[in-house]
Amino acid sequence: MTTVVLSALAFGLALFALTQRRLLWGVLGVGAHSLALAGLYLSLSAPDVALTEAAVGFGLVTMIYLLAIRRTGKLVVAACPIYPLLYQEGDRIAGLEWEILEGFARWCHLDLEVLWVSRQEIFELLRAGEAHLGAGGFLPNSESRVRFTRPILPTKLVHVRCQDGPAGVVAGEPGEALVPHPIVAYEDAEELAQALDRGEVGQAVVDLLRYREWQLKRAIPDASFTVLPEERWYSFAVAPGEEELWASLEKFLEELQARGELGELVRRYLG
Amino acid sequence: MEALSGLALAVALAGLGLWAMVTRRNIVWKLLGLNVASGGSILFLVALSHRPGARPAIRGLGPGPAVDPLPQALVLTAIVIHFATLALALALVIILTEHRHTQDAKRLEEEQ
Amino acid sequence: MRWALTFGLLGLTGLLGLGIFEIWPRPCFPDPDEIALAWGVENSVAAIVLGQRLWDTILEVLVYVLAMVGVRFFLAGLRWQTKLPPVAETPFFRRSADLLFGPILVFAIYVAASGHIGPGGGFPAGVIVGSGLLLLALAKGTEQLAAELYEPKLEGLEYAAVLATLVLGALVLIFGLRSATAFVAGNILIALEVAIGAWAVLHRFAAARGEV
Repeated sequence: MTTVVLSALAFGLALFALTQRRLLWGVLGVGAHSLALAGLYLSLSAPDVALTEAAVGFGLVTMIYLLAIRRTGKLVVAACPIYPLLYQEGDRIAGLEWEILEGFARWCHLDLEVLWVSRQEIFELLRAGEAHLGAGGFLPNSESRVRFTRPILPTKLVHVRCQDGPAGVVAGEPGEALVPHPIVAYEDAEELAQALDRGEVGQAVVDLLRYREWQLKRAIPDASFTVLPEERWYSFAVAPGEEELWASLEKFLEELQARGELGELVRRYLG
Repeated sequence: MEALSGLALAVALAGLGLWAMVTRRNIVWKLLGLNVASGGSILFLVALSHRPGARPAIRGLGPGPAVDPLPQALVLTAIVIHFATLALALALVIILTEHRHTQDAKRLEEEQ
Repeated sequence: MRWALTFGLLGLTGLLGLGIFEIWPRPCFPDPDEIALAWGVENSVAAIVLGQRLWDTILEVLVYVLAMVGVRFFLAGLRWQTKLPPVAETPFFRRSADLLFGPILVFAIYVAASGHIGPGGGFPAGVIVGSGLLLLALAKGTEQLAAELYEPKLEGLEYAAVLATLVLGALVLIFGLRSATAFVAGNILIALEVAIGAWAVLHRFAAARGEV
């Protein structure tokens, strides 16, 4: 009887732990699950195994997981790589937004950590609370749950036309409302470029810097493009619960702009 | 009866862990799935050792059949070794995050 | 295809479980109490781990030490960039952590030393000491605890314990030593090196990711 109850409890806890969104809850769930498993071993008359599993599974394993995924004292930025703004060359990261973020992290006495993810996943990570900031050529969309800082750089959208076919956009960017249907959404600008190359889509809407990157790397075949006249701005995205982070980032950007360093950075990176 | 429920849970946990390892893209979630699956396999061995109405395998504990001590002995060291391997795997994940700046399995595979 | 393979393998594994209904013929296993009597102890599991399967245990101890060496090697150069502000803690927590570490250590020594007459043994005891050290590290900070524990000498102590375990294993396997004292000594040595290994992991992880 005890065995059946403990088995159900252990299975329920494992199911709860592995279907979570936040890593923190997953780790704690697996810790509780191994404690239930230790009780199960005891009811199956295996006391040595129960003692060992309780000590290992609950104390040490949870500790090293928590140390490995810890983000206290770190500023976690989820970003898409894009050439002049935030990119990785060799072992280090460089770019315009990287310099801004580095100065901000030094000012706040935090360590900076950048994670490359796809554009849609930035929103998921920000909402789940696992990343503090979103960056990397980020165009504000009409997502209401994520806060945006003041705009950093102006840009425009580009409508690229290669051949007839459906239109492709990067999921989450504001180009979705501007093209006629049918639309195919891709996770990444690179996948969109590959799809254009292969001929799966005929048109695309991206922003100016990404189009320039495609042309520099000759990632797409010859196309005609029109620059849409509406002006958009790049900015950073801040996770929904972080009020003081948003306030201090706003203050930092304001000071940068007042001192003229922002304009100097733009001139240095974009010519 | 008790061993049967333990056995069913072991197969279920192994399946659950395997599903988590295949589905999730973050490598730390994959390591969590591996943790659950290995708990399932340990439970499988311990449940095999159970005899109906058994007492623990210590000599002075009274009459009646004792459990089979061999699978329990195999599993006892395996739990601690599993912790050591997990520590090494997480150290590698930390180094990987420092250098490649991503924890996504697909992105780790495609670059370079 | 992947799912079919997965479920096929799991189903085959589940078929093994039919053995509990005595469908598959079982090898004739001697009574567990006889094994315990043959080695002069009372816990059959300990008799198998440190007696009949001593060779496996020695190799597993070596695997453990190898994993710890790997963790030390990989995380050797990683340091936190900016210093974290010290967490404000109450003296109550610090004092009670100090007081609790004593009973934890005594309990671990009891579990190790009575591993041959009751449940327990070297492996759980080492892990319990590791958890006690984690408690102290939460109260005091890892760097200060490392300074108090004479950190560079601990690594040498771990390798010495492994060597002593190998010597003991040779005595039991080659020369046929069969007393309960060998069991106690083996358990305590294993507990020592599992504990030092767990402390090494904690120290390297905490140093690479900031304080605990």
